[in-house]
Amino acid sequence: MRLQAWAIIVVLAVITAGCTASKKTAADQQHILAAPNPIAMPSESSEDDEFDLIDEDLEKQLEEQKVKISDPLKPVNRIMYHVNDKLYFWVLRPTARAYKAVAPKPVRTGIRNFFNNLTTPVRFISCHLQGKHKAAGRELHRFAYNTTVGVLGFGDPAKDKLGLEPADEDLGQTLGKWGLGNGVYLVLPLFGPSTVRDGLGLVGGQFLNPVRYVKPAETSYGISAGQITNENSFRIGEYEAFKDAAIDPYIAMRNAYIQYRNKKVQE
Amino acid sequence: MKSLWCALLVFLVAGQGVDAGDKDPNDPNELLRAKSGAVVEDPNDPNELLLSKWDAVVKDPNDPNELVRAKWDAVVKVLQAKDLDKKVKERLIGKIVSPMFDFPLMAKLVLGRRHWPKLTPPQREKFTRLFTERLKTSYLEKTKLYTDEKASLKPAVRKKTVIYIPMQLLSKDKKIAILYKLRKVDKRWKIYDVEIQGVSILLTYRSQFDDILRRGTVTDLLSKLEKRPAR
Repeated sequence: MRLQAWAIIVVLAVITAGCTASKKTAADQQHILAAPNPIAMPSESSEDDEFDLIDEDLEKQLEEQKVKISDPLKPVNRIMYHVNDKLYFWVLRPTARAYKAVAPKPVRTGIRNFFNNLTTPVRFISCHLQGKHKAAGRELHRFAYNTTVGVLGFGDPAKDKLGLEPADEDLGQTLGKWGLGNGVYLVLPLFGPSTVRDGLGLVGGQFLNPVRYVKPAETSYGISAGQITNENSFRIGEYEAFKDAAIDPYIAMRNAYIQYRNKKVQE
Repeated sequence: MKSLWCALLVFLVAGQGVDAGDKDPNDPNELLRAKSGAVVEDPNDPNELLLSKWDAVVKDPNDPNELVRAKWDAVVKVLQAKDLDKKVKERLIGKIVSPMFDFPLMAKLVLGRRHWPKLTPPQREKFTRLFTERLKTSYLEKTKLYTDEKASLKPAVRKKTVIYIPMQLLSKDKKIAILYKLRKVDKRWKIYDVEIQGVSILLTYRSQFDDILRRGTVTDLLSKLEKRPAR
């Protein structure tokens, strides 16, 4: 029941976001369309002899690879980005650090494996929906082997012994593969950068996540919190390095996220 | 009049000769001058002496694979060394890695056709310097995260004037795909972009600078670049 309510809220939020944004979206898209057109500026190109032919080639490539994403919710997204940023530095990182200090690495790796094993359904179905039936079969094989030989998935002998790599697929990628564009950029509380498409994938993914079916709901969310902390304990320093390298972390995050997801969809 | 032209010609030729002599890497005098110059620069700098010990041995600098591989190994060796101070490590790595990046080209490309021409020559110089600094720090921070991994190079892909070298970093709990993009400059292969997990650093910076320059001025951009990361 709670889950459904949650799903409805997310869907509603996305829809209302789309409505309020529609006016701005057009303007934003025009903005984007107008951007990658270096030839349209004859005054600049004639006075500039700094770009030689090879640079020109690379310049063209970069323009082609340019990330196109509309972000009509930018003011809200920026606020959400800062909330998440503070959440990370004030809550998530200290928690992950404290946890890392007491839980030895093999334990943390085991827990990580356990959750990876538990979320097999999303990957299995996403593989099938994308026509990657071999990869889906591999996921099933991994699940069977790790649940038994790997003792409920705490070990990953499927990878270590059989050399079966997990498939990094989710529903957002599946929708992308089907031709659904990113849609509007979103920064979700706690989840971070996303898009309407990936948000939908995330909601669908929750239906396929066994943890969500644990009753009562408090326990279910508690388990997820534990999972997030465990995962974060492996990634301390990544966000910090990213932020230090950025000039405008919000824009950098948006751009990097879209590049990353586009690549994933392509694969 | 004729003698004037002759004199001018002689002057030009002589100038060319001197210029060429300056740049000839095979000229032993030039090499000596450069070497001693480097030492004189700061005789008390222990990094200068350390560098020769830690720097990568690139057997064939014309082979980009070999270059990337050797440099990566050297960096990892420095990072894993237990008897070196953290600051020394960072400076060493900077010195090992810097020669293989084409920072001026990266600076130009990151602003692109759209924004680079807006900068005056001094601004260009300043921008290049600041951006280079930022890239070096960023490289260092990212590399520190990935030193436990085993690196393996995959076959390079050549595209006209550029070459892409994929590298895979593998560890028990992480798998990271890195793609080095190199271009030949003065007969040397140099990196002009790096993709980590499909994310190009050049594109990420381009989007940020583009956003800043659309809303603000070049001065804004430079002051933002000059600020140390807030943390």
